[in-house]
Amino acid sequence: MKQDLIHILPQIIVLVTSMLALVFEMLRKATGSLWTLILGLAAAAGVAISKLGMISTAFSDTFRVDHLSLWAAIILAGAGILCALLMRQELRNTGREGTLYSLVGFSTLGSMILAGAGDMMFLVLGVLISGLTGFGLAAYSKTDKATEGSIKYFIYGSVTGAVMLFMLTFWVGTSGSTLISALGQPGLEPVLVLLGFAGVIAGLGYSVSLFPFHFWTPDVFEGAPVSVAAFVSVTPKIGAFFALAQVMRSLHPEGLDYNLILAILAVFSMTYGNVVALWQKNVLRLMAYSTIAQAGYFLLGVIAINGSTLAVSSLVVFSVAYAAMNIGAFAIIQQVGPQILHFEGLARKKPFMAVAMVVFLLSLVGMPPLAGFAGKFLLFGAAIDVGYSWLAIIAILNSAISLAVYLRIINPMFFKKQPVYSTEPSILIRWVFLSSFAVTVFVGIAVRYFL
Amino acid sequence: MMTNFPLLSITLFLPLLGAILLMVFKTGRKGTNLIAVGTAFLTLLGTLGMALRGLEGGFSQVEEVAWIPQLGAAYRVGIDGISYTLVLLTGILFLSSIVFSTKIKQKPRAYMALFLMLETACLGVFMSLDLLLFYVFFEITLVGMYFIIAGWGHENAKKAGIMFFIYTLVGSLLLLLAFLALYLHADPRTFDMRTLIENPPVTGGIAVFTFWALFLAFAIKTPLFPFHSWLPMAHTEAPAAGSAILAGILLKLGAYGFIRFMLQMTPEMFREFAVVVMAVAVFSVVYGALVAMAQTDLKRMVAYTSINHMGYLTFGVAVAAVSSESAGIRGLDGATLQMFSHGIVTGLLFLLIGAIQDRVTTREIPLLKGLLKSYPVLSGIFVVAAFASLGLPGLAHFPAEFQIFLGGFEDYPWAVAIMLLGLVIVSALYIRAIQRSFMGPVDQNILQTVKDVNTRELLAFIPLLILIILTGVYPDWILKYIHETVKFIMSSTQ
Repeated sequence: MKQDLIHILPQIIVLVTSMLALVFEMLRKATGSLWTLILGLAAAAGVAISKLGMISTAFSDTFRVDHLSLWAAIILAGAGILCALLMRQELRNTGREGTLYSLVGFSTLGSMILAGAGDMMFLVLGVLISGLTGFGLAAYSKTDKATEGSIKYFIYGSVTGAVMLFMLTFWVGTSGSTLISALGQPGLEPVLVLLGFAGVIAGLGYSVSLFPFHFWTPDVFEGAPVSVAAFVSVTPKIGAFFALAQVMRSLHPEGLDYNLILAILAVFSMTYGNVVALWQKNVLRLMAYSTIAQAGYFLLGVIAINGSTLAVSSLVVFSVAYAAMNIGAFAIIQQVGPQILHFEGLARKKPFMAVAMVVFLLSLVGMPPLAGFAGKFLLFGAAIDVGYSWLAIIAILNSAISLAVYLRIINPMFFKKQPVYSTEPSILIRWVFLSSFAVTVFVGIAVRYFL
Repeated sequence: MMTNFPLLSITLFLPLLGAILLMVFKTGRKGTNLIAVGTAFLTLLGTLGMALRGLEGGFSQVEEVAWIPQLGAAYRVGIDGISYTLVLLTGILFLSSIVFSTKIKQKPRAYMALFLMLETACLGVFMSLDLLLFYVFFEITLVGMYFIIAGWGHENAKKAGIMFFIYTLVGSLLLLLAFLALYLHADPRTFDMRTLIENPPVTGGIAVFTFWALFLAFAIKTPLFPFHSWLPMAHTEAPAAGSAILAGILLKLGAYGFIRFMLQMTPEMFREFAVVVMAVAVFSVVYGALVAMAQTDLKRMVAYTSINHMGYLTFGVAVAAVSSESAGIRGLDGATLQMFSHGIVTGLLFLLIGAIQDRVTTREIPLLKGLLKSYPVLSGIFVVAAFASLGLPGLAHFPAEFQIFLGGFEDYPWAVAIMLLGLVIVSALYIRAIQRSFMGPVDQNILQTVKDVNTRELLAFIPLLILIILTGVYPDWILKYIHETVKFIMSSTQ
């Protein structure tokens, strides 16, 4: 028991932090709440770093402590801190500011639980925690658009969550246990395993905004505060993908090739996201479709999880990269404005900000030597390693389309004469995008420390 | 000289340092030009220093630093005769282009910083001995060139830039796939190009896939018909110095790839498919020449002749893949020399066209008249460069093309005969353009407005002109480095 508690220390720290943050909010001390969150998440990340390399389980195999869950704790803690800073900037002194930080903490906790899920109940718990907190965050500003987005988020979430919970009963029924590792045993009824798998795809696919469970994404991104969109685009996604990887690790199906199903979903998600993003005029909607496309790339790592030694590293590196470049891009969008129009002539007024934005966007495309390249490179390598070369080719063609998408933001920044933008970025925004910038550049060069 | 002095790395990152200086300090126009030209000059000195240290047939002057040891990737740079030729070309042409560009008034700091960054990327591509490192530099050239075209180009620059970027990105992504295939099949897995060259790792179906992925990637870059459609547009819209670099250096990335990767890492497949590659090459020769003939825009015309020249080059490499050792050595010698010759000749032509356009604001051949009388020196240099480009003996292209034909004639006389046709067409189109635009009576409107070449332009043109003549008369000054390496390669692949 004691050993188990030590194993899940990062998660416990985040839980306590979130509750403390709520207490500060009750005392109407939003700043205290923010500091609690920052310190708490930093501590959780520190503990996780000290544990790196450990491979173990806690509470009789229900929670896995391994590369995925430890790295998830580190990445999610970092992402949580950066997003909280963005929220501070955008929503300072708005009624219930402190609740934001508490919700960020809980949502991070949900994703951390997902990333180490060794039991089906943890899957459900994680999806619920990260979903429920997401609804609250998305609706925070109480405008029509925010409410609309949040309602969509809520309805999709409750339906897919219910489907997942229901379908998981098939898994429990056929394997006789709620442990995910029980799915590895021979002689399970293939149809029931498939049904359970479909439920998990629905539940987690919703969290990661994978096609065809993505419909809430553009509306939430457009309606919610920009900082919240940044958070929703990163944290639930990483947690749920790691959870999917944990599931696929134990799932050794007979007959049907589940990897093929995931590969087809990846193809649709990448292609749909990139192609639809081409027509968007609102940068936030564009980024929403871009995250749908990026979800497809993540799947390459999940597919390779059993067959390639590169898979775990590829998921970790791509998650670090994805978190940094997405938060960085959102920080700049928050500063500049939600329309492509707002970006016109940015390079003249704020050259460094424009260069940073280019770095984030090109990193999303996968240009070396940036972080996104390192991640995609490992993902492609992992996919080819397990015989999914065709999927890697489609992913590569999609990268070319995505370049066209991001050039729609890059071009006006540099090649429009009339600058629209004029205000000075605040210290907080500057901090967030500078640290994201540093990570985006650094990870690409120093990949060796993430393997 | 000390053997462990990291001359390659210093030369490689010197331009980047210059670029960073330009970005950090708000230098005035003079300061900007001083830093840019100074850095490019020092870089050229660095590349000359490499020759002084002596080259071998195989890779020498290797510098290695651990990068991602878990994946077998490292920072590895080194040169042999073939890559040195291109490193030298990069040093020379960038200096000329930067000197020529000192006139730029629109955002000069950003322009020079991009150029210097591009120089580091180009040097890096040619020096890399690691697939991953190669790919990193390869992609950076794309980004740098995109911003140069889109930011400082002519009317349709944005569209041309996007087309260039996306088209060539598809190519480089295919390259990434091929690299992954090479990496995953090497035992033990490594990105070290020397190991991959010694023991070509891929066999069977994977080898076919790798070969064609490499071919497509480099054919887009070179470009060969039918993958060339980005080239005329990018050239027409890019600023003069950008065009010079694009044609002079960036096209060579493709040609270099044919040799370093296809010939050296998938030699079996190249032997098997050499005839297909030759057919594409020969077609490009004729197609490039014919389409160039139909152009009325001087710059577009020269752009299409690049496709023609790259065709000869690719043919030379294909000969090396399949023919006997002696024929192969001639073909590959010629192809490598062709890279150098095409770099200086076409680079010079694009700079000259830029200079003409600065004066008369048009590049339409029918509108240009009597340039020789209006601007005797400028036009004189142009005529020499044009003659070099059409392969006149005594100028740079002749020894290269002659060797390619000689190498190919033994086994493929028909292909050589068709390519000679291309040579005739190119000669005709240059002579026709010279006759229409440079000969004839003076155009009175032009004469009064601007003067003949100025010092800045002369400083950019003369070194290239000297090299064109030197390479034509005494090609051995550079061929001696090339030949060592070609012999080495041919003895190991046969």
